Amino acid sequence: MNWRTVRALVFKDLTLFFRNRFFAVMAVLSLVMFSLIYFVMPSSVDETLKLGLYAPTVPPALELMQETDLGLEFEQFESEEALKDAVTGGGVLAGLVLPADFIEKLELSQSPQITVYFASELPEEVREIVNTLITEMAYLQTGQPLNVDLRFETLGPDMAGAQIPQRDRMRSLFAVFVLMTETFGLAALISEEVERRTAQALLATPMRIRELFTAKAIVGVLLAFSQVLLLMVVVGGMSTQPVIIAIALLLGAVLVTGVGFLIASLGKDFMSVAAWGTPSMIVLSIPAFGVMVPGALSDWVKAIPSYYLTDTVYQVSNFGAGWGDTWSNLLILAGFNVVILMAGVLALRRKFR
Amino acid sequence: MNLKRVSVLFRKELLQGPKNFMFVYAFVMPVVISLVVSLVFGTLFDDQASLGIVDEGDSQLVPLLMASPSLESREYGGTDELIDAVTEGAVDGGLVLAADFDNSVLQGERAQVPVYIWGESLAKHRTTISVTLSNSIRELSGQESPIDLQQVTLGDEKNIPWNDRLLPFIVLMIVVIAGLALPGTSLLAEKEKKTVDALVTTPATVGEVYLAKGLLGVVVGMIMGVIILVINQALGSQPGLLMLMMFLGSAMAAGIGLLAASLAKDLTSFFATMKVMGLLLYAPAIVYMFPSIPQWIGQIFPTYYIVNPIVEISQRGGGWPEIALDTFILIGLNVALVALIAFTVSKKRQYAL
Repeated sequence: MNWRTVRALVFKDLTLFFRNRFFAVMAVLSLVMFSLIYFVMPSSVDETLKLGLYAPTVPPALELMQETDLGLEFEQFESEEALKDAVTGGGVLAGLVLPADFIEKLELSQSPQITVYFASELPEEVREIVNTLITEMAYLQTGQPLNVDLRFETLGPDMAGAQIPQRDRMRSLFAVFVLMTETFGLAALISEEVERRTAQALLATPMRIRELFTAKAIVGVLLAFSQVLLLMVVVGGMSTQPVIIAIALLLGAVLVTGVGFLIASLGKDFMSVAAWGTPSMIVLSIPAFGVMVPGALSDWVKAIPSYYLTDTVYQVSNFGAGWGDTWSNLLILAGFNVVILMAGVLALRRKFR
Repeated sequence: MNLKRVSVLFRKELLQGPKNFMFVYAFVMPVVISLVVSLVFGTLFDDQASLGIVDEGDSQLVPLLMASPSLESREYGGTDELIDAVTEGAVDGGLVLAADFDNSVLQGERAQVPVYIWGESLAKHRTTISVTLSNSIRELSGQESPIDLQQVTLGDEKNIPWNDRLLPFIVLMIVVIAGLALPGTSLLAEKEKKTVDALVTTPATVGEVYLAKGLLGVVVGMIMGVIILVINQALGSQPGLLMLMMFLGSAMAAGIGLLAASLAKDLTSFFATMKVMGLLLYAPAIVYMFPSIPQWIGQIFPTYYIVNPIVEISQRGGGWPEIALDTFILIGLNVALVALIAFTVSKKRQYAL
């Protein structure tokens, strides 16, 4: 292996990549766009039902519910008008008006009237939740306990009060998209070289095909890895276990380089690269969608190599998973890489001949 | 302008079109994207608690929970399946009802009911599950509500579900892919292969070539638009008016595509321009997605006059009086676009063709 030749080829390919207006724009645009999306999205999760209350006397059952229930929050208002303003302004989900004689009437079994204000755009299911909550509070106030013992058991790490914001769940999706964007560039670059016969011209020099592939692989990995790493730094994905994340991203970059080789072997020009690249991008991004919509995908998703990248990024950056939790993912991803990269090289070698 | 020549050129576009990747893309991608967007975003923004139920007997609690609008309930075959679903986050909670549950409740015995909670479930979803379960059990045991609830709705704005909010975005995407990209890439492919030079040496004029290519975009855009509206059950009660709007919208997109293709040097610079312009084209749909953004902002963008009448007809049950003004503005914009294309082509004729 002549590393001087490889280095010269790497420089040539990088120059050609950034000379292509589309890929140069896409490379910068995707980084800016994904960073922007990340920072525009909420950084915290609002997991409480916030209700407004106007009541001369607050019933003890209501205070108890607020104390024991993390998902419930009551805000008291000085007047009914202020409460109505808060409801229409969206400050609270709904507004409750309890009469002064609420507790007395309950004790006398006289069904006190509670007025509940809803904003018109509030969905029916939320109104039903509020009504159910108030009714349950009234049951508690009258001292009618539930004759069933509901035994709650939490499965998995309990994230109540410390939920992962949607933007942090999306990090792995951003990573796959950025990696795949670079694959398009690499594939277009290779297919163009084959179609314009510049690759054949190169092979007429003392350079060997092994050096050509090594250079292409280095360019692919370098472009994909540097950009995805930069994105992860910007969106805070490297704050925990940076070494594991960096290795996962590097393996991801190798994976998409292999996919890029395969696409290049099938494509003849930019259009056919886009034709093969888009379905590949959709397939590789499926596991990341699974992270965003838990439970939507079943075990078959593990057959997609990018699952092991997205799962590692998700587990490490959001739950602080360590080597012990992720080594199997990294090993499987490396195995996939060997197979896909070899398939890509073999397919390209046939095309070069 | 010779209509016979235009029809011959249009037939050629129709016959040659399927060989172009963009043609296949224009048919396949809108359907795929529509399904993915509905599935992913419909679920992602669906802020409702979900409950899985295993009923070992024939409990009357199940229909009560199924009918509750507060919860999205579904039944599972066994406890293991339910625990898996809760662990993966497919449902927020899981309830196992023993065979004699109803008897225990009706006889006043204190029954124990296991409720599994997904660790990442939001606190408000846990609250919803807890109070809805309690209320339903009380209903089953015949307890009467101790209060009289009076609901008051404030304001007149309506709640727009996410699937409806996304419809303009999907419609615009179809118009852009089919109406804009199809004629644009067809023209550029001919420019690159120099076949268009041969074409204009025949009696066919530049205007006829443009019209034939534009027509292809309009026809495909209209067909796909109707298919997507049918898939999304948004054809409404005025399909004729919807077809008119899809026609005018696709015509505008075809005009933009042809104008961009006239100015672009090659396919890559055309796609780079389209990527940058994408934000401007999709802006009205993005504004519509978020009602908190002042809606007048959307009116600044030309594509608003495609989206708004479609939303008016398909979602608000509007008719001609409601969309007349927007339709005339859209026709005016289309006429201006045709004039701009004619001017650009006459000025840059040697570059455009």
